[in-house]
Amino acid sequence: MDKINVLIIEDTVTESTRLIKLLEENNYNVVGVAQSFQEALNLFYSKKVDILIIDIFLNGVPEGITFAETITTVPEAAKPFVFLTSSKDRQIFERAKLTKPFSFLLKPFNELEVLYAIEMAIEKFYEQTDVFITDEEDTVISNDNLFIKKGKSLKKVLLSDIIYIEVEEKYCNIITEKEKFVILISLTKILKLLDPNNFCRTHRNYIVNLNKIEEIVPSDNLIQLQGKHHVTLSERYKDLIKKVRTLK
Amino acid sequence: MTLKLLSFFFFLLSFILHSQNNNIEDKLFSAIFEKSKKNHSNDDFKKASIFFIQKNWDSTLIFTQKTLKKSPKEKSIKNLSFFYRGVSLFRQQVYHEAENQFGLISNDFEFINKVQVYLGAINLKLKKYEKAISYYQKLTKLPNKESLYLNEAILFDDLALCYFFLGNYNEAESYFKKSNVYEKDTLNLIDSYINIANLYYQQYKDNIAIPYFKKAYNLSKKINVDKKKFSEKDRKIYYRKSVATKNMAVVEENQKNLKKALLYRKEYEKYIDTLNNRNRIYEVAQKEKEFAVATKQKEVDFLQVQNELKETQRNNFIYIASILLVLLLISGYFYREKVKTNHIIAAQKETLNELNATKDKLFSIVSHDLRSSVNALKSSNAVLVDNLQSKNLEALENLLQKNSSIVNGAYGLLDNLLNWALLQTDQGYFHIDTLRLFIIIEHVAYNYKPLLFEKELTFENSVSKKAMIAADQESLKIVLRNLLDNAIKFSKPHGALKVYVEESDDFWNLIVEDTGLGMSEETRLELLKDTALLNKKEHEDVLGTGLGLSLVKSMIRKNNGKFNIESELGKGTKMIVSLKKVSLSS
Repeated sequence: MDKINVLIIEDTVTESTRLIKLLEENNYNVVGVAQSFQEALNLFYSKKVDILIIDIFLNGVPEGITFAETITTVPEAAKPFVFLTSSKDRQIFERAKLTKPFSFLLKPFNELEVLYAIEMAIEKFYEQTDVFITDEEDTVISNDNLFIKKGKSLKKVLLSDIIYIEVEEKYCNIITEKEKFVILISLTKILKLLDPNNFCRTHRNYIVNLNKIEEIVPSDNLIQLQGKHHVTLSERYKDLIKKVRTLK
Repeated sequence: MTLKLLSFFFFLLSFILHSQNNNIEDKLFSAIFEKSKKNHSNDDFKKASIFFIQKNWDSTLIFTQKTLKKSPKEKSIKNLSFFYRGVSLFRQQVYHEAENQFGLISNDFEFINKVQVYLGAINLKLKKYEKAISYYQKLTKLPNKESLYLNEAILFDDLALCYFFLGNYNEAESYFKKSNVYEKDTLNLIDSYINIANLYYQQYKDNIAIPYFKKAYNLSKKINVDKKKFSEKDRKIYYRKSVATKNMAVVEENQKNLKKALLYRKEYEKYIDTLNNRNRIYEVAQKEKEFAVATKQKEVDFLQVQNELKETQRNNFIYIASILLVLLLISGYFYREKVKTNHIIAAQKETLNELNATKDKLFSIVSHDLRSSVNALKSSNAVLVDNLQSKNLEALENLLQKNSSIVNGAYGLLDNLLNWALLQTDQGYFHIDTLRLFIIIEHVAYNYKPLLFEKELTFENSVSKKAMIAADQESLKIVLRNLLDNAIKFSKPHGALKVYVEESDDFWNLIVEDTGLGMSEETRLELLKDTALLNKKEHEDVLGTGLGLSLVKSMIRKNNGKFNIESELGKGTKMIVSLKKVSLSS
């Protein structure tokens, strides 16, 4: 599990210092602080960013909104973001609202509000609402990552690191090369959100990353995976063999 | 005597021609005019035609000359032009020239017969009787004379005259008789009788001539003239009368019947006189008539002008009156509007004054509060500096805690003030969304953790995580902040604060309960009033502007919620906020 990378765009140093302290205490990784529009663009494209916190007013002009508009023009490159503002001015808000998904954080803010705002931004951006607040689920799935709530903060896991997933009732055991952990998510949801070209069900209780398969032994109903893991291949899901590229 | 008779014949001759001109020629001219209009676009020729029909001979001559100078190609224009010139010159009595012009007309001209009539008449005028007779004889042989605009009776008359002047009385007699066959009016009849009588008289056939003279005389006698109206026709009648009488006189004189001759002479002179008088009277009458007409016309003009003037005046009056009326109505309308507006303005002014007074009062209280806060901070800082110098570090922490709580209080007040201003001007962002009540309460309560700890109060948020409401997040936070603030403020140390929800049909009722001072029923009702902005200080040690609660009420109303208070003096208070429920879709 990795820390989540946050890019802060804020021109007031005291504010950004406070924010950095707060985020780092909650196991977030701040990849940079930009104080202007240009700097923000440079950092956004040079660093790996998971989420942005954008102050609407940079040096007295609402450049934060312009920045958000800029990064959302390319949907593939877009990332979740949170607006930070001390103004409740309606006109500014009406403009900021046009950049979707819209979530904001009003100054002065406390720790809970910041963490909540980040969670909300991720939920809205990946269109999986009511995940982190409820007790039933704790994971949002994006194209590359799982965002998992751990305690008060969030963690992420690269989907490509996952070897296989073992489903146990409401829980899912995620097995990666290095670790093994449990997340809360329904089976139907996880099947719906995972890319079927990379992940495939082999058994009632198993979902396998196709890229991690080393050997399929149909006679024993067994699949050999990287890291000496093996899972069962049930009759029902034997079609899977066709999907795997094999040497001929 | 013969001379007299001759002159008399000459006169008759011209008379005959005249009659021919008047009756048939007009028809002929209009026929020619129609023809000229149809065929040609030549401007000069058109003008010539117009002048011709108007019998303006001089102008006709000028324009025909112009037309002919340009030597037009159409034969018909040439012929007609020559014809116009011939007729015009004939009328100007330039007979030789007229004859020349007529001679230039080609033989295929439509009205060539008429040309011959004119040539005949010219020769008669020029006393070339043989030549005239040759023209006339040709014409008499033509059939269908009416359609060719020829009057046969006149033709015969003219022929008779020619023969008469040549002394060929037999021929003359036969033609006179021929001419008599045609129907004639009385005047023409008299003319004929006189002509015939003269014919016979010239041949000394007195016994035949005299009855004709008598006939003519009697006929002329019979014609009565209305003496008042004197027209051209009457003049002609008198002329006939005079000639007939004169002839009778000459006849009687020749018969040596001098007495009778004298009577006829006298009668003749009487006619001549009347004729002259009549002429004058006619002229005078004509003048008078003209004058009278002119005067009448003037009067009519004057009256017309007067009428017009009156009409304009009347119209002006109507216009002015209607304009005034419209103005009156408009001003009346505006006056009413103004009165209405004034009423509204007065009412608004009153409310504004009230509001302004409240605002002033609010300002004074807020500034008083802030002043005392800042003052406390100031004195506390002085103590802080003293303690720092004496290195009394233990006291420092307490003082700083105290300062921080003072600043927090002042900050809350300022925040409320700002939000209140934003609410009044409707400038703040307001967007109703689905919210999870539990989370919002957690967020707000997080800020009060130190305060609760300081006052040693227990806090419990037992709101269901399923409680979803429709509200604007920031305004809800303001409400909660104020409620928690109040609850802490009015709590005794070691008290308990509880936040929980109760579900009703459409609402989640959020209850903020404290075990604090409570309030009297009176205060409670006062607080729930819509306008209650400033309430009296019930608790000496705790200040309150009422701004917080006022804000709470406004914000709840804006979120379509309800607000209520339950309280018991000395035991505690329940602040109840009812917010619209949102059913969970998933």
